[in-house]
Amino acid sequence: MSGTLPDAGGPVISVQHLSVKARARAILDDINLDFGRSSLTAVIGPSGCGKTTFVRTLNRMAELTPGLTVEGSVLYLGQNIYDTQVNPVMVRRRIGMVFQRPTVFPTSVFENAAFGLRLIHEDEDTIDKRVTEGLQQAGLWEEVKDDLDRAALSLSGGQQQRLCIARALSVQPKVILLDEPCSALDPAATQRVEATMEFLKQNYVLILVTHNVGQAARVSDRIAVLSSGRLIEVGATADVLERPQQAFTEQFITGRFT
Amino acid sequence: MLRQLGPFIVASVPIIILLLIVLVLIFATGFANLGSSFWGSDWNPPKAWGIAVFVVGSFVTAIPALFLAMAIGLGLAIASTVYLPRWATRILDPFVDLLAGIPSVVYGIWGYLLVAPYFGKVLNPWVYAHFSFIPGFGGRAPISDGLGLPISIFLLTLMALPITTLLIRDSLRSLPRELWESGLGMGATRWEATRRIAIPYGSRGILSAGFLGFGRAFGETVAVAMVLNVMAAYPVNFYSATGTMASQMFLNLDAAFGSSSWLAALSYMALVLLAISLAVNLIGRRLVARVVSYEVAGL
Repeated sequence: MSGTLPDAGGPVISVQHLSVKARARAILDDINLDFGRSSLTAVIGPSGCGKTTFVRTLNRMAELTPGLTVEGSVLYLGQNIYDTQVNPVMVRRRIGMVFQRPTVFPTSVFENAAFGLRLIHEDEDTIDKRVTEGLQQAGLWEEVKDDLDRAALSLSGGQQQRLCIARALSVQPKVILLDEPCSALDPAATQRVEATMEFLKQNYVLILVTHNVGQAARVSDRIAVLSSGRLIEVGATADVLERPQQAFTEQFITGRFT
Repeated sequence: MLRQLGPFIVASVPIIILLLIVLVLIFATGFANLGSSFWGSDWNPPKAWGIAVFVVGSFVTAIPALFLAMAIGLGLAIASTVYLPRWATRILDPFVDLLAGIPSVVYGIWGYLLVAPYFGKVLNPWVYAHFSFIPGFGGRAPISDGLGLPISIFLLTLMALPITTLLIRDSLRSLPRELWESGLGMGATRWEATRRIAIPYGSRGILSAGFLGFGRAFGETVAVAMVLNVMAAYPVNFYSATGTMASQMFLNLDAAFGSSSWLAALSYMALVLLAISLAVNLIGRRLVARVVSYEVAGL
């Protein structure tokens, strides 16, 4: 099954016949899915359906887990990131990722946001500019601008998560993967992060893993449903939620399956 | 009130032990007055009891050994946690732990019989021939038995290495997996993620490794007594002999039984050694807490 949003310039990411195995066990089975420009796709499904593994294949993080083998291809702007001559480090600099729990580094707010820029040895002026932009886009700037040197770990959980988003944004990626970014946050902080995502989807390809159907309904343009490693259904958010084509989808979104 | 008595007693055990040690040492001195020469450089019992040579000697052997043990320990710990495949880690880690269990007298015998001749015949002459232009590496030629500072520092490095490696390794391993992955997710190489995330995150443990390693090297007795060629003189260059507080006390135990001045001198020296070790540890802890709490705990 494949889902493509009509979009000028073709997909940013095109997943083709992607399968992942942990030794003999299939975790993902023949996934085909395109991601166009400027949109937010929510990948939903019950625990263990492979949705986290799926996004981790999109920036070659999956291979950090021992024993996982990835087959098929993931084209990023037409280039297969699994080609042997592609350096995974370079892939990860283009495709940002935000994790379930905030993963700020033990340093200042500024240095956290500047982390990726330091890796590519940007000059100080560029770093200043991009850090500011990243924090603004992540909706954190007003809260931290007076003291960028404070320890990042002194921020609240929600602020830390938005700092992680700013950190991913500062290197100007086209794609940002969000792996259940609100699962460790309280409702108010979740709301702030969701607002940030809604703002960002105007300019970035966002791929959001969530087990929270309500969140998918609030922020996504499109929903992909995974079950036991298979892509069950994909379509515009309203269509999938109101007129699910598959019995599994209906069961999942109405909470009969968790 | 009574409810807290039990915990209070248990919590006081280490303090009581420490107090007992200090008190016994103080009584052993008999409050003898060894004169103002005690802090001087002239060690010529029973006329002069200057311990400065040994204080300097303890630092001169322990500090280089500490730096080497920290550098090598950091390298081994990073290799073990980041780079080596699992089968190699499974060989490396237990052997590092095993090194910690080797009695220091075994290091001493090994050093004296097998390593010192190599230092004397090969290593020291080679360094002397090629690096004598560096201050401290020229001057008086090394003696051929190989005893002296280099082998002492070498053995102390080996002895401090397990504790530094072990503690640094544990600090690096304490890094949450998500933090490591999000560094890599930003496009950091493993080395960049180690340098920019794992080491700062583990800095408290790494600094503690330094202070514990210092304690190990600073107080080491038997092995140093065997290979340092202990004498009451400041080192004149890299190859020469000197004395440390611990080795000097050890080698003169006999004298302490026959003379109250000797007993007093060695007890005072023990108190100085203890005071320096404790001070380094306490200052170290303070420093570690101050430096690290801001970055890691966000306090």
